[in-house]
Amino acid sequence: MTVQQLPAPARFRISLRRRPGTIASAWRQPLAIAGMVLAGVWIFIAVFVPFLAPYDPLHQTDLLLAPPTAAHLFGTDELGRDVFSRVLWGSRLSIPIAFFLVVGAVVIGGTLGALAGYFGGVVEEVVMRAADLVFAFPTIILAMAVTAALGPSLQNAVLALLIVFWPSYARVVRGLVVSLKQADYVSATRLLGSSSRRALMVDVLPNVAGPVLVLATLDVGNAVLLLAGLSFLGLGSPPPFAEWGSMVNVGTQYFERWWMGTFPGFAILSVVLAFNFLGDSLRDALDPRSSWGGQQ
Amino acid sequence: MLLGLGITFVAFVLTELLPGDPAAANLGQRAIGDPAAVQAFREHYGLDKPLPVQYAVYLQHLVHGDLGESEQSHRPVLTDLREYVPATAELAVTSIIIAFALGIALGILAAVRRNKFTDQLLRVVSLSGISMPTFWLALVAIYVFFFKLGWVPGSERLDPGTFAPPHVTGLYTVDALLSGQTDVFTNAVQHLILPAFVLAAYNIGLLTRFTRSAVLEVINNDYIQAARAKGLPERTVVLRHVLRAALPPIITVGGLAFANVMTGTVLVEKIFAWPGIGNYAFLSATTLDLPAIMGVSLFVAIVYIVVNFVVDVLYGVIDPRVRVG
Amino acid sequence: MGRSAVNPTLLEVRKLRIHLPTASGMSTVVDGVDFEVRRGEVFGIAGESGSGKTMSVLALLGLLPDGAVVEGSAKYDGIELLGLKGPSMREIRGAEIAMVFQDPMTSLHPMLSVERQLTEHVRYHLGVSARQARIRAAQLLREVRIPDPESALGGYPHQFSGGMRQRIAIAIALACNPKLLIADEPTTALDVTVQAGVLRLLDRLRVEAGLSVVMITHDLGVMSSIAEWLTVMYAGRVVESGRTADVLARPRHPYTAGLLAALPHPEAPAETALRAIKGAPPSPLARPAGCAFHPRCDYARPSCSTSVPALVPIGEGRGLACPVDPLIA
Repeated sequence: MTVQQLPAPARFRISLRRRPGTIASAWRQPLAIAGMVLAGVWIFIAVFVPFLAPYDPLHQTDLLLAPPTAAHLFGTDELGRDVFSRVLWGSRLSIPIAFFLVVGAVVIGGTLGALAGYFGGVVEEVVMRAADLVFAFPTIILAMAVTAALGPSLQNAVLALLIVFWPSYARVVRGLVVSLKQADYVSATRLLGSSSRRALMVDVLPNVAGPVLVLATLDVGNAVLLLAGLSFLGLGSPPPFAEWGSMVNVGTQYFERWWMGTFPGFAILSVVLAFNFLGDSLRDALDPRSSWGGQQ
Repeated sequence: MLLGLGITFVAFVLTELLPGDPAAANLGQRAIGDPAAVQAFREHYGLDKPLPVQYAVYLQHLVHGDLGESEQSHRPVLTDLREYVPATAELAVTSIIIAFALGIALGILAAVRRNKFTDQLLRVVSLSGISMPTFWLALVAIYVFFFKLGWVPGSERLDPGTFAPPHVTGLYTVDALLSGQTDVFTNAVQHLILPAFVLAAYNIGLLTRFTRSAVLEVINNDYIQAARAKGLPERTVVLRHVLRAALPPIITVGGLAFANVMTGTVLVEKIFAWPGIGNYAFLSATTLDLPAIMGVSLFVAIVYIVVNFVVDVLYGVIDPRVRVG
Repeated sequence: MGRSAVNPTLLEVRKLRIHLPTASGMSTVVDGVDFEVRRGEVFGIAGESGSGKTMSVLALLGLLPDGAVVEGSAKYDGIELLGLKGPSMREIRGAEIAMVFQDPMTSLHPMLSVERQLTEHVRYHLGVSARQARIRAAQLLREVRIPDPESALGGYPHQFSGGMRQRIAIAIALACNPKLLIADEPTTALDVTVQAGVLRLLDRLRVEAGLSVVMITHDLGVMSSIAEWLTVMYAGRVVESGRTADVLARPRHPYTAGLLAALPHPEAPAETALRAIKGAPPSPLARPAGCAFHPRCDYARPSCSTSVPALVPIGEGRGLACPVDPLIA
């Protein structure tokens, strides 16, 4: 059986070369620039925090519950620890974890979705029903249940959130794979000729990358939010660690000491904002017609 | 229906397979030292029977409307739900109304002033809305509006000392009106404002964005120009013609907005000491109160299904092309 | 509003120029157009897409896109339409000048009932009650020959066929008894079999109501059956005008002649090739210097590429914008 080498249909030859053209235009928008700068600042902080933080985040002093001063920019908490340093150190927790979470969800969800879309049949049914089931549960209840059952810790919170996040990617990727599969019969013939795995990598992936990238960028923000939410509820990392969510939680108890809860919250807000700005501009670049249009 | 069954199954399996021991979680310290107490606990809740039997028993009870007994409150879960649902319902409904009203209005404004300053400003505002940690916003709101300004109360549904109106729906605002207690009504509303707005923040951002894009999709259509050509004032054209045509995609956000509210109630109710389902869900999850978790999950799932159904119906009401026949 | 019952001219357009903003700067889509519409008569504007015919009439109702710049004058019953302010413009729209769009599938609101679309502007302009408006709406549907008007009122556009939808659109346009009806390609989106019916309807209505009609179409067959006066536009300018019968029987402009020659002759032998005009109409941004048609014209002279021909009256109500005038014979 000879394999016909049909010429590749032009539209499937969307190489990564075209990507810079569309993404590059996003970079120039003020919102994207703001997002990039903000995200860059935080990533910088996360990397260089040992040099940037004036105090050890776990070091307790006698200066309890002190309002912001020159010595302690964000004041001190109930154990005399410097809030400013703790906020900076919090970035080392939240940001890498959020990234890891999203990458994990993309890989798991994307793979499952691609398999579901490509092979269809039972595989598709199983994957999609699983996704539906996750969607049917209110996010936080699922996350809470899993985390509570496994024991409050950062790893378990991450696991719980992985479970919550993967279905969106599975759905998006499957939808795209299915539409690509149907789009061009000639291409499908060619796919049958070459190895399935190779076809998936070369033909399908570049087309899928765009929407997934937008979703992922926005999900980094969502991940930070949910992680902080779980920590706030006491289900994330245990107390001594400088995690923004749990800091706000403690801040609730020391209500009049507004600095204890407000600054960590601001940190969360600015990180999420940065990635939302980025994701929004990316979406604009890839679909200029709607221009800051509705979400998925 | 299949989904509902699937949910009970998953919830059940999840809570069974996960390593935590509900007896230990509930009895706490005592459990470690007292095997008899643990055994009694397990027998009481049927935890010593084989899994499939437990599941079958649960389903059997479910059909009879018995959701089991909460391990925490030692009351039937159904009773717990009945007590807490109205509080959340009041909060959730108010929040959704605020979110839709404000979100749609701002979205239209942004669309009509496309690319001008108002639009860009609203873009940043709406992005901020969906970037804000709800619990943090609640804190800040309480601090500013209650602590510093004293405009509204900072917690609970009524002032201490004020009694709840006679129970008809469980919604204090409605019940107060029904029994003519205007002072209670005012008090209940005051308590409702802050948590409802905080809960609505995310959805306002979401709806502004969705409305804007929906309106922009529609605003250049021929029938809009035809409406103008009839000499109708621009306001009528926008509110009757444009909004109507843009409404279907906005309505579909309704389900998503509702999900956000459900997620948000867990955090908001905790902070505002609002005795609702969110609080209950949190307590059940952290104490691994299996019947309660199942009960809450089931309840929320059913609400989702109902909301989606309502959305579908609304779709048909707004867009006659979708109606059957 | 000034009404001069004596003046036979209802609409007078002079030196109309329309510039639209594009990605590459302002483009002149209409470049100096003159025409007149008399009371009770049908005035046709013919031309290909991009000739500027639709833009010209949109300018009359103030419906041009944002950023458009309009020069010239358009006097309706003595009132200057161009640059008219909001409230005054709204009084004219629908009540004095009404418009029927090309595709009734998209020009009727899909989610509003037929009754609503028939009555809302009537109530706004004439201030009648809902009940009265409804009666009038049913009557209008009867006039446009929609079967079972009472139940049609409660229907929605998607429930009707293309031809019926266009009739509804015509009913909507005539609801407030305007004096001028603009019909932009009203039959183009319809099946050929349905077209004739709609045209007959338009003709009957305008005779009964003494309506003036501006009929825009690229279809010369439609033009000959309904329009008394004809203006042919090319690349934003008028190239020829006059009585329809005259212009179509004895065209004087090479473009008009080319259009007519391109029509398949029903009695020609089967193998006769279709004669198209060579080349394509220019985009407004790349308009040739001098006469816009000269690159495609068989009779072009050197002077055609330098001077823009003016519309010159050549007797019997005809105008011609071609100094070469090669077809006079």
